[in-house]
Amino acid sequence: MFFVEEVVIQLLLNFVAREDLNAFLRDPQHTATIVGSLIAVSGALLGTFLLLRGMSLTSDAISHTVLLGIVVAFILMGSVFGQHPDLSSVWLIVGAAAAGVATVLLTELIYRSGLVKQDAALGLAFPLLFAIAVILVSRVVSDVHLDEDSVMVGEIGVAWANTNSHCLSGCESVTITPDDPRAELTRQCTNCRDLGISPRDDKAEFTEICTNCGQYSPAQAWQAGFTEQEPALVFWPKSITVMAVMTLLTLLAIVLFYKELKLSTFDPTLAAALGFRPTLLHYGLMVLVSLVAVGAFDAVGSILVVAFFIIPPAAAYLLTDRLPRMLVYSSLIGAAGAYTGYDLARGNLLGIVNLSDILAGLNDLFGLGLSESWDSSISASMVLMTFFFFLVAWTFSPKYGLVSTMLRRRNQRRSFDHQVVLGHIHHHQGSASASEELAASTLYRHFRWTPAKMQRTLRQLRARNLVQIEANLVSLTERGETHAHQFRETQLTNESVGE
Amino acid sequence: MTGNDKLTTKNRSSDRRIWLLIAGTALVAALFVPFSQFVLHVEYDYTLRTVALGGSLLGIVSGVLGCFAVLRRQSLLGDALSHAALPGVAIAFLLAGRDLGLLLIGAGVTSWLGVYFIRLVTGTTRIKQDAAMGIVLAAWFAAGIALLVYIQARPDASQAGLDTFIFGQAAAIVEGDVRLIAAVGAVAFIVLGLFWKEFKLITFDPEFAGANGFRVNLLSLLLSTLIVAAIVLGLQLAGVILMVGMLIASGIAARQWTNQLGQMVILSAVFGAFAGGAGAIVSAVDADIPTGPLIVVVAFLLVAVSLGFAPGRGLVWTLLRQRSDRRLFAAQTMLQDLYHYALDHGRADLPAPEPFLVGVRGATAREGLRQLLARGHVQRSNGAWMLTPAGIEAAARDDRNHQLWSVYRQYGDDLALPVVGEDRQQDIADALPPAAVAKLEYRLDTIRNAAASAAQQQPQSGEVTDH
Repeated sequence: MFFVEEVVIQLLLNFVAREDLNAFLRDPQHTATIVGSLIAVSGALLGTFLLLRGMSLTSDAISHTVLLGIVVAFILMGSVFGQHPDLSSVWLIVGAAAAGVATVLLTELIYRSGLVKQDAALGLAFPLLFAIAVILVSRVVSDVHLDEDSVMVGEIGVAWANTNSHCLSGCESVTITPDDPRAELTRQCTNCRDLGISPRDDKAEFTEICTNCGQYSPAQAWQAGFTEQEPALVFWPKSITVMAVMTLLTLLAIVLFYKELKLSTFDPTLAAALGFRPTLLHYGLMVLVSLVAVGAFDAVGSILVVAFFIIPPAAAYLLTDRLPRMLVYSSLIGAAGAYTGYDLARGNLLGIVNLSDILAGLNDLFGLGLSESWDSSISASMVLMTFFFFLVAWTFSPKYGLVSTMLRRRNQRRSFDHQVVLGHIHHHQGSASASEELAASTLYRHFRWTPAKMQRTLRQLRARNLVQIEANLVSLTERGETHAHQFRETQLTNESVGE
Repeated sequence: MTGNDKLTTKNRSSDRRIWLLIAGTALVAALFVPFSQFVLHVEYDYTLRTVALGGSLLGIVSGVLGCFAVLRRQSLLGDALSHAALPGVAIAFLLAGRDLGLLLIGAGVTSWLGVYFIRLVTGTTRIKQDAAMGIVLAAWFAAGIALLVYIQARPDASQAGLDTFIFGQAAAIVEGDVRLIAAVGAVAFIVLGLFWKEFKLITFDPEFAGANGFRVNLLSLLLSTLIVAAIVLGLQLAGVILMVGMLIASGIAARQWTNQLGQMVILSAVFGAFAGGAGAIVSAVDADIPTGPLIVVVAFLLVAVSLGFAPGRGLVWTLLRQRSDRRLFAAQTMLQDLYHYALDHGRADLPAPEPFLVGVRGATAREGLRQLLARGHVQRSNGAWMLTPAGIEAAARDDRNHQLWSVYRQYGDDLALPVVGEDRQQDIADALPPAAVAKLEYRLDTIRNAAASAAQQQPQSGEVTDH
């Protein structure tokens, strides 16, 4: 990881100055937006396949049980290897990925018994694993920052502060040994506590210990005042690297196995028949989901990450029928949600509405006494913005949106009305009962419509020059006649009316 | 014995089984209290009594309503709706302060909106139910978190305890909460009783219900509302994440023991009460152990036991049945093999060499011979196996049964016999009425005699064939 960062930083420094890079990364908004977008893109890419395979909620289960993997890895590392890892350690990621796969395996085990339906199997497996994780957290792990907040919302807002420092020049690591003149030595009583005596007691034995001995990285050495020249440092947020690696892995996997994924998603039987090993792909996908979930755990918590897997693909699903476009759209929607979400957390909805104004308005109207400064969770706001984009897509999608569906239905209803009236006129025109059946003023009765509806329909038909009214008698124009003929020939012979 | 009689006895035995099981669970629960007192050294103070009672009541309510979620394949609805309750809690707190009743009403309202949203999305788009539930889960929960963080920034400190709804905090339950659970649960049960027939119908056959003029949409919305009520009640104890486990686990466990909805619901209530109470008591062993997760673990243990040992359905049962089937099959196959081998070579008690039998049948041969030896149907004679007189008799009987089945397959239609599934392991006399068997035997003998007379004529027609 460290090496990767080094390469990227060297590359970036060809274009921007070190100070600018540091300033850019130190801005919480930049780092939060970058991390959020990376989570959103990798989640959206994987979520697209999950959605199409009808297993969106598997991501929910995995993101919960990732906690178990982290906790178990934590305990194992602490007790077996005697290390004290932080949350971005590779072993925690491995543990979390294993837990994700274990969830899927457990679910399938329960399901394969044939006694429990698929959804129920999932609903059994992940609460159990999560419950075990919570019990372990509260029993065994006490001194870690695996607290409730990090499970819930994550710390994307302070992601900028958790950095690796990379030294570019003036790098002087310092090692202080007890012999060093800069070492600060002090005497410590070795047997005071055991014997329960004070250090002034005659029996007290002392050793010399060094309080500031040890390895100093260039940055620490400069802070402790051991070096004269300030090293040129770049502070690189760790979570950017973690999420960038996860996103690249996801992208790589999807590009390499695009054909296989596509086929096994849409036609698993054919994929199996052609020898594509759908099971292997399935578990590969689950491993990737677990990896992204654990990478995002730090930043957005284990519950909100579900949103990045489900909502952008669902929005994209309403916008297109083609898989490549769906992948692109869902990534874009996810990234846009992350980008605009940061502002929403500060109370700014797309630069249009300010939430503080709304709160003030509510206070004025109802006298609620709410605090008027809106300062909320960044990760939750990113999810809300993504949801907002989903609502937009749902409403305005050209093909599947509410508005277009409504318009289409209205058009269908209208053209049905037109055809019915034209057919009626065509049928009775020139017949003996024409004067009774085709009187404009009473035409509505033959359809059991309201007069207003009939008037409207006739008006529309006259506007299209299909119908004319002469002396209160409705008749087809020449154009109307051909229209009715065409309709009979094309539509009725095919036995399909309308679209 | 007719089919109907069989069915009723079967039902009666399953009825008895359910009552035995309920009594057993009650017994375990009764024994569990002194066990926890004297072995685990749990102290039954006021708090624990309240929490255990609350847990049991909640187990009953969610167990009963969870059955419907499980049967309607909406198990994960509980997950989505419990998450969707969070913004309601936050909004109710913002508007009215910390009053449990109002908080729960708020939770119910937003959960219910979640239900409605899911129906709307699945009704107007091609998005499937699972994705729609995922959307509600994530978006509603995010709104709740955003509001909670906003509330936490408020100057007054009275927001303390709102996030207990996320992870649940059993210790916070007081007597009033228990009464609330009991009251709401009672109302839910009354509604359930009133609409029992309708709910049953829309659970098992919604199309049929719709065709018969039941308002399926309205009824399923009502049922979802009841489930929302159960979830909202459970939030304080189990928290939003684990609530789904409480809701469905006891229903799934109960499903393994019975095929009748009424019995399933009762059993699920008993299981739920046991899990809720026992989980609460065990978690009192150590102050560090959270109650909600422990209840879920206990409920899952019930599920595991049920999946393993439920009669007729459970995994152990299935394994045993498969093993005995395999043994029976092996024994029958070997009996036939030995019999035909011997007959082909002249006489029925001719020994067949073991390598030959194993070479043909593999592991089945060893297993079958072991079974036959145990029954006294075969005996060893230096490295080979031969049938005993009893074995020859059994083989002849079995062979004749096989032949009768073959005749049935070939001539069953011609003889206008009743249609039954062909099962050659079964004695045909058990499957068909005596008159039909008599017809088959007559037909078989006719064929035999014809074949025998043909065989007698064969030598005269020259030795063309080998056999």
